[in-house]
Amino acid sequence: MDGLAGYILRRLMFLPLTLLVVSFATFYITRWGPGSPISVYSGQYRDPEAFARVEHKYGLDKPIIQQYGIYVERVVLHGDLGPSFRLRDRSIPEIIGPKIWVSFRLGLYAFILTFLVGIPIGVFAATKQGTWLDPFAIGTFLFFQSIPVLVTVPMLVLVFAAKLHWLPPGGFDGMFSKSMILPTVALSLPGIAGVARLARATTLVSLHEDFVRTARAKGLDELTIMTRHVARNSLVPVMTTVIGLSMVGLLEGALFTETLLGIPGIGRFIYESVNGRDYNVIQAIVLLSAGAFVLANLVVDLALIVIDPRIRAGRVR
Amino acid sequence: MSNKLTLAVGGVAAVLLIGLAAVLIFVVGGGGGSSSSSDGTPAASATKSSAAPAASGELRLRGEDPLFLDPAVAQDSGSALYIVEIFSGLVRLDRDLKLQPDVAESWDTSSDGLTYTFHLNKKAMFQDGRLVTPEDVKYSWERALSPDTGSITASNFLGDILGARDVANGKAKELTGLKIVDDTTIAVTLDAPKAYFLYKLTYPTAFLVDKRQIQSNPTRWTQKPNGTGPYKLQEWKLGDHITLAAYDAHHLGAPKLKTIRYDLSGGSSLVDYEDGKIDVTGVGLDDLDRVQDPSDALNKDYVQTPRMSLDYIGFNTNTSPFDDPKVRQAFSEAVDRKKIAEVVLKNAIPVANGLLMPGVPGYTADDKTYPYNPDDAKKLLAQSKYAGKMPEITLAESGAGATVGPTTDAIVQQWKDNLGVEVKVQQAESGTFFSDIDNGRYQMFHIGWIMDYPDPEDLLDILFYSKSKQNNTRYSNPDIDAQLLQARTEANLEKRLVIYQEVEKALLKDAVWLPMFFDTTHALVKPYVQDFQFTPLIIERFRDVTVSR
Amino acid sequence: MTMFGAETGESAAAGRAVRGESLTRRSLRRLLRKKLAVICLVVIAAFYIMGAFAPLLAPYSYSKQNLDNSFAGPSLDHPFGTDRIGRDMMSRAIYSARTTTIVTGATVATGFVLLPVVLGMLAGYRGGWIDAAINRTGEVLASMPGLPMLILISATMRPRWDRWMGHLENGLHWDGLVSSGFADYFLIFGVLSLFGWVGGARLIRTQVLALRRAEYIIAAEASGATTSRILRQHILPNVMPLIIVGASAALGGIALSEIGLTFVGVGVQPPHPSFGALITEGAPRSVLEHHPALLIVPASIVAALIFAFNLLGDALNDVLTSRDS
Repeated sequence: MDGLAGYILRRLMFLPLTLLVVSFATFYITRWGPGSPISVYSGQYRDPEAFARVEHKYGLDKPIIQQYGIYVERVVLHGDLGPSFRLRDRSIPEIIGPKIWVSFRLGLYAFILTFLVGIPIGVFAATKQGTWLDPFAIGTFLFFQSIPVLVTVPMLVLVFAAKLHWLPPGGFDGMFSKSMILPTVALSLPGIAGVARLARATTLVSLHEDFVRTARAKGLDELTIMTRHVARNSLVPVMTTVIGLSMVGLLEGALFTETLLGIPGIGRFIYESVNGRDYNVIQAIVLLSAGAFVLANLVVDLALIVIDPRIRAGRVR
Repeated sequence: MSNKLTLAVGGVAAVLLIGLAAVLIFVVGGGGGSSSSSDGTPAASATKSSAAPAASGELRLRGEDPLFLDPAVAQDSGSALYIVEIFSGLVRLDRDLKLQPDVAESWDTSSDGLTYTFHLNKKAMFQDGRLVTPEDVKYSWERALSPDTGSITASNFLGDILGARDVANGKAKELTGLKIVDDTTIAVTLDAPKAYFLYKLTYPTAFLVDKRQIQSNPTRWTQKPNGTGPYKLQEWKLGDHITLAAYDAHHLGAPKLKTIRYDLSGGSSLVDYEDGKIDVTGVGLDDLDRVQDPSDALNKDYVQTPRMSLDYIGFNTNTSPFDDPKVRQAFSEAVDRKKIAEVVLKNAIPVANGLLMPGVPGYTADDKTYPYNPDDAKKLLAQSKYAGKMPEITLAESGAGATVGPTTDAIVQQWKDNLGVEVKVQQAESGTFFSDIDNGRYQMFHIGWIMDYPDPEDLLDILFYSKSKQNNTRYSNPDIDAQLLQARTEANLEKRLVIYQEVEKALLKDAVWLPMFFDTTHALVKPYVQDFQFTPLIIERFRDVTVSR
Repeated sequence: MTMFGAETGESAAAGRAVRGESLTRRSLRRLLRKKLAVICLVVIAAFYIMGAFAPLLAPYSYSKQNLDNSFAGPSLDHPFGTDRIGRDMMSRAIYSARTTTIVTGATVATGFVLLPVVLGMLAGYRGGWIDAAINRTGEVLASMPGLPMLILISATMRPRWDRWMGHLENGLHWDGLVSSGFADYFLIFGVLSLFGWVGGARLIRTQVLALRRAEYIIAAEASGATTSRILRQHILPNVMPLIIVGASAALGGIALSEIGLTFVGVGVQPPHPSFGALITEGAPRSVLEHHPALLIVPASIVAALIFAFNLLGDALNDVLTSRDS
């Protein structure tokens, strides 16, 4: 097992390196542009001398490399992510923790809804293969996938909140309130088509396998191999693509949905932090998401290796 | 093949279905908003009944999380709204923006105008019950100026005190201009007899903070601040709500309104108002039509208050082509501001008739700006030194995306139509925008200015004095400088105002700015809320409000 | 395994050495036989032609205002009506198509064809440290949260970028570089490509890894062919299908990204119109309630385009990958 275990270990070793590179790049980019959190926060009073003084107090006038060194030392040795320049009396975990929790739960809801709707649709389409219902079902949701979230949200709000008054037009009343319905629906719509197709493909494979078993009894060996091969081949990229896309779509959709509907999640907060040049907050969020991404990637790659032997052969030297 | 076709048909059918549903809803719903149904009962179409009935004496609002509750440091209006209730200073502004005593119950001015002696109110206490002493004043101001605190505004609002510069630079720890006379008296000496000094003390930077609290909890005291204002911060759950509770032992008397609850969780303020969950709400441009319609149920709750802010276009007098006053004047005369206000802004805000806004001493109702005159504008341009060789011009503004667009687009188009000049719009996000204005990078910029206290010095001097740091147009006019200096120390109020009015006229004649619009707050207030007043500036406003449900 | 029915019979061709051209030609033929695919191609082509010839097709300029004619309904003069400041919606839509054409075209060409092909093939074929290096770089780039990074880079780099472009314009006398919005597009497509090439490269790399073991490759290596030759002649044609499918899938996503970026304020700057701008202007409740056309027109065009991309991607997937072994 040295191959696999060693592989995992080697990949994990890259995690700190990745984080380092990501954090350095972010560090540089945030500080490169004009404007510092001090001068941005300042609003209409512009006093460049005062800015310089305060920036000096926070060490923002040191060379970027030096600032980075201080930052890394602080994070690694003391676990201190630094002060937020906007909300100065709270620690960063204190600020972003609840927001991430809100976005995460919203994303979870949307993810669940996507699968809850997508799988039955996909299975249904598979059973109706050959009739017009098959492509029609998938096609409808494919169309929904084509509508930008920025359009679905205002339209949903208009219809369900403004006209019908069934749902509140935004805000956050808690995870089990009516205010969660609109954002969940809006976020889940684009992903349903992908999931439906995946479900459909899987269902068809198993249908075919039954067919294949009977076929093998009749001696059609080549066909068997072909089907199984093709299924494995296409299932894996589809799976990773779909799950990957849903997650990415959720993340990006979340920013718009949260902004449009006034939900206090991390998507909207990132936007506010970038505008406010809140260096440490931006840094923390980017690091967090990078770390999560790398780990998720590792999991997916491992799954790939387990499923597709060819890749394993090529990968582990 | 027919499969694929059906797929597309499926998509189209989905669209049609949605469209049909939408049409049905529009038709059945009558195409109206919420409460304008014919049966007249306002709550009929609201799906939620009012939230748990609130007590009398409690006011419910929507709000934003304050960023930082340190009065010396906080710069955003969101924080300021809470700070003016929790903290206070020696003097305050009443609803008519007149100067009134606060922690200082009276004061004497020396005959040379240089020294103010404040007599503190003997009943003035911090919210934990401790009496206010002159040491607290000294501590608060020195702390605000100290570089360790990181205040941006202190040198502006407290900078007239003798020795302030040295404290701000870190060269001294104490203000030489402050002298504690006795237990309840403190004398403040200025570097010049500045008439507007007291007004500057009404700004949060000069508010009093609790030395003991700050020293014992330097990083987190702002989460449960101990101030001298009429309201205590009772509870603050980040992202959820803030509750302010009346401080009954306040030296100016117990506030009539006992509790104020802000809902911070985001969402639509107007909908909450209609549902009865909040008692006061602002009204945005989007909903203005509805609210101003006399047949709408909300119309009787509608109030309008002027705000002391000015939206303007500033010309950088140091760069081409706006170093030529004829060009500036031409650009000013080529914009039909009334039309824009009408069409783009639905007349929600008034066209500016000068630099000073209504309510600022020295304001006059006559129109001192260049009227819309496209022919004259063309002539001026032809006479200017850039006739025929106009450089490329960019108008900068801060903004995000297309939302800021319509007014600026309209202005730019008018320049194109009336002057034949193609102006490019550059939107920069605020950090970059302000920074670049500081560095004088733009030829012209679209921006606003909000008054911090009701004195013309806060605009004319701060923004147009040639050596001022806020002078974003790099304008330098020795005559105006002289007048401004004179006005700073002119003791007679009338004479002062006359000087400022002349300065205003001169600046407008020189077309340094193109003043576009003043501002108005549009709001809805529930009938059971009495004496609620929107103020043109951010000052405390809850003390005299009563809520009787 | 295809969605629209397995194309049996022909799939038995697996294992036979495939020569690039005949595969492409064959695939094209098969594609064109599917009616739906043709419709999609027509829609997409119409869109891109509209975008490319926008100045010729649009009846008005996209910024010509007429404050007297705001929010006008459809008329002979203005088939799609006008917006808040009287601009013709149809012209704005046509010019927005141009923006999308430029941005998607450039981004896909760079970030979804050029970069993934080069990097993916190198990584897969050469392996070793090149592979590791490309993989790790890709991982770093992909792990950065896309939209926040885009916003960040746009916010901080744009002013500098504008200045550089200004200098470039003056230095090379390419007048209008900045004012035409070209510099804007460049920044956007650059950033989108930078973060977008990873997925495609990874897919290609996987494919190349699989192909590497094929006998004809080993034979070619044995006969002394150089790496670049092998890549060009043998691997590239087999990787083409993936590239095409990937690119067509990406086009839709990029159009959506542009909309998102503009909404947030870091996309194409005014006055250049884009669908992001039109949608943002049409989305606020008051506008939507009384003048829904302002949102529906751009939204429909965009939705139709992306729908067409999706369907086409499906069809391509069918045609090109059903022969995969």
